[in-house]
Amino acid sequence: MTNVNYVSELLERSFTINNKEVIDKHQVSFEVEKQDVHQILSVLKTEGWIQLSYLSAIDWIDENEFELVYILMNWERPVHIQIRTRIERENATMNSIMPIFEGCKYYEREVHEFFGIKFPGNPDHEKQLILENWDDMPPMRKDFDPRAYSDAHFAKREYTTDFSNLNNEPSKQAKRNERKNRTLRFKGGKK
Amino acid sequence: MESTKFSPATRLTKEEIDRKWWEIGDYFRRSSLWMLMYCTGCCAIELPPAMTSAYDMERLGMGPMATPRQADVLLVTGYLSLKTLRRLIYTYEQMSEPKYVVGFGSCTINGGIYHDSHAVINQLDQYIPVDSYVAGCMPNTEAVMNGFIDLMGLIQTKKADGWKRYRDNNAWYKKNQIDSLGVVRVKDEFHD
Repeated sequence: MTNVNYVSELLERSFTINNKEVIDKHQVSFEVEKQDVHQILSVLKTEGWIQLSYLSAIDWIDENEFELVYILMNWERPVHIQIRTRIERENATMNSIMPIFEGCKYYEREVHEFFGIKFPGNPDHEKQLILENWDDMPPMRKDFDPRAYSDAHFAKREYTTDFSNLNNEPSKQAKRNERKNRTLRFKGGKK
Repeated sequence: MESTKFSPATRLTKEEIDRKWWEIGDYFRRSSLWMLMYCTGCCAIELPPAMTSAYDMERLGMGPMATPRQADVLLVTGYLSLKTLRRLIYTYEQMSEPKYVVGFGSCTINGGIYHDSHAVINQLDQYIPVDSYVAGCMPNTEAVMNGFIDLMGLIQTKKADGWKRYRDNNAWYKKNQIDSLGVVRVKDEFHD
């Protein structure tokens, strides 16, 4: 039995798995319900997935949801497991996993800083970690406009001459594509 | 009886004597530049070939220095996020005068590929004075060496006067720093 099959059977026996994706023989991803996450993580920890490698979030703005990704690693059975779960985007809250993996303290602070997800149970989750004195909405949300922020805060160099296209020559990109096509033609296309 | 061996020293004013001493000082300074490398970005990868036997910076009399207080040149290699800009400003203010700044890459000139980032500043010379720029993304090692030779020429012709500009227009620089950074000295839980 491969390690991926082992962990799939382990989780499918007692939890509802919405979606399973085997990425390769060392990586597997499970989409689970929000309320199951803590139990799944403690089961996996007792089974040997003792290292929380990463915790991050994805902003699915069209579906009005955040997706949290917990990545676990086992040093006996070398499989990275991604536990993915969807949470509401409005007033996003997820209970902290500090009782299970204490090292998640800093990951949760980072996620709170960049996505604005609250983690009750983590005493420090609202402290600043990377951004200093941030005064806008969390910057990794999809509705944050980095260009507008940059224009408002940082001085831009002004150029009196437009150097973008000299002497009405075709742009470099067009030239590059033309050269690439010519090379392909000489080679006789892809083999 | 007056000696005829030596022509009498002309009476020089204090300014003229000072200028002569500065010229002597500049000659020695440009022949032995100690640089402080603030390796913020990817352009720092051009420094190892410039420093080691491939291009051998030592033949220009340049060498690395560990502390800002003993360094003459500050190399800002690449993009500066708000957080590193705060540290760069402390470092620059710790250096003893005269001090020179070389900006590497297009990021220090106009933001480069980070021109629309929420965390990276666009123009370094709004916050600290820059004497010489090395353009490119990233610059060739030849361009880097050329930039250092340019800086030596600027010191010789007294055009590398960024540290004077920083002293004279300090209010303007401070205002720009406050406008972009809010607070320059931030206390966090890991320091102070």
